[in-house]
Amino acid sequence: MSLLVRRQIPIVVVFLCALLPLADFFLKIPGTGPALKDLQSWGVILAGFALVFGAVNLSFLHGRHVLRRTRNQWPFSASLLLAMCLYSVVGVFLKPTSTQYQWLYNTIMFPLSATVYSSLAFALTSAIYRSMRGRNLETAILVIACVIVVVRNAPLLALVVPYATEANDWLSSMVSTSAMRGIMIGASLGAIALGIRTMLGMETGFLGRATEGE
Amino acid sequence: MLYSGRIFYLVMLVIFWVLTLSGIQIARRGKIPEFRKLAGLEALHEMVGRAAEMNKSIHFSTGDGGALTGTEAPQVVAGLAVLGYVASLAARYGVKLTYSVFVPEAIPIATDLMRQAYVKEGKADLFNAEEQIRFLSNTDMAFASAVQGIAERERPAASIMLGPFYGPAMLQAEAFKRVGSIQLAGTARGYHIPYLAIIADYTLIGEEIFAAGAYVSKDPTQMGSIRGQDLAKIVIIALTVLAVVAAAAGSRAISSLFKI
Repeated sequence: MSLLVRRQIPIVVVFLCALLPLADFFLKIPGTGPALKDLQSWGVILAGFALVFGAVNLSFLHGRHVLRRTRNQWPFSASLLLAMCLYSVVGVFLKPTSTQYQWLYNTIMFPLSATVYSSLAFALTSAIYRSMRGRNLETAILVIACVIVVVRNAPLLALVVPYATEANDWLSSMVSTSAMRGIMIGASLGAIALGIRTMLGMETGFLGRATEGE
Repeated sequence: MLYSGRIFYLVMLVIFWVLTLSGIQIARRGKIPEFRKLAGLEALHEMVGRAAEMNKSIHFSTGDGGALTGTEAPQVVAGLAVLGYVASLAARYGVKLTYSVFVPEAIPIATDLMRQAYVKEGKADLFNAEEQIRFLSNTDMAFASAVQGIAERERPAASIMLGPFYGPAMLQAEAFKRVGSIQLAGTARGYHIPYLAIIADYTLIGEEIFAAGAYVSKDPTQMGSIRGQDLAKIVIIALTVLAVVAAAAGSRAISSLFKI
């Protein structure tokens, strides 16, 4: 593939696409708003194509597992393909708003998601237990802060322990918020710098190259 | 011509551009900035080496949320930059690298990126896109469940999670912890950083993930832009201090700037 196709054209396209939302935000130029909407629609359409691409990738991978009877894998792959076919057929022929599709979603997908989500409680407990072992000053501070928050949020303890609410509010509004704002300012600047590098063709990861020179 | 109330933001953006470009120019002239050591990125060699010794794979993920067309896109792009580097290391040491995809738009990009890395290392025959790049789901709970399954079945030696991560990321990280994988996790989603920090062996916080690509590539232009970013940070800190002092003195001069 020529250098022009591989390097220059994608950079120019990225630059122009990035310039449009900036122009729309800062400048009163007629036509930028509709053009940006069109661009966003293209993005949605491309994402839709990519989803089909993902589904094809998934079907090939798991289809092969089923055909090869891969140990510890093929029953899961078969159930995934079955579920994909079921949801696709019902969704395409009866529409996602149909009672049948809604029933499938509400009786399978929704409870499964809720189950996975609720298992977060166990993951959290296990992770907090490990991190709460006071090994140095930092973990000691973390333990103290956690105890205050737990005491505040346990209804009975909050009544019994004096100043639990005040200490928790101070931690939350002063310490936690100020640290979080610092992190967010840094992250925003990082995102802007990455945006500038991307617009100028210096951030080349998304083009399949590690450095500008490749 | 310009929207009122946004002029100051435009001025700030222009200042960031100028600082970033001057940082890049300085780096191109040979004055490459020194980076403080980021333990997580320094550990990438150790992670790949560990996987090679144990004859196990490495699992990579660029988030369980967002899209390449949304506000989380920079984080996905930052994660992809590190993916390319890890793919190079994996190819060099003959380690299997699997990339679990949440954002389907990333599949062609990751395929190209990983193929280039394997070709560059002269190991093109080791790369199998269908086996190594797996789209799991674009809903967070299903993605987390699938990654947990992969962790239990494949028991990778290392897990790298860089990108926009939400609540279920903790389930993934905990699953990798359970199977003994060494972990590097990073996100710019402030609310979810603590969850990853208490589980992962190494954590990249906020802006560090955006600098990760520059850090691992050692590319002077990318590293120069980080110097510009640091200068922009100094401008922000100076403005904040000025605003605090002005507010304490009863003046609203600085805060009124934001309304221009």
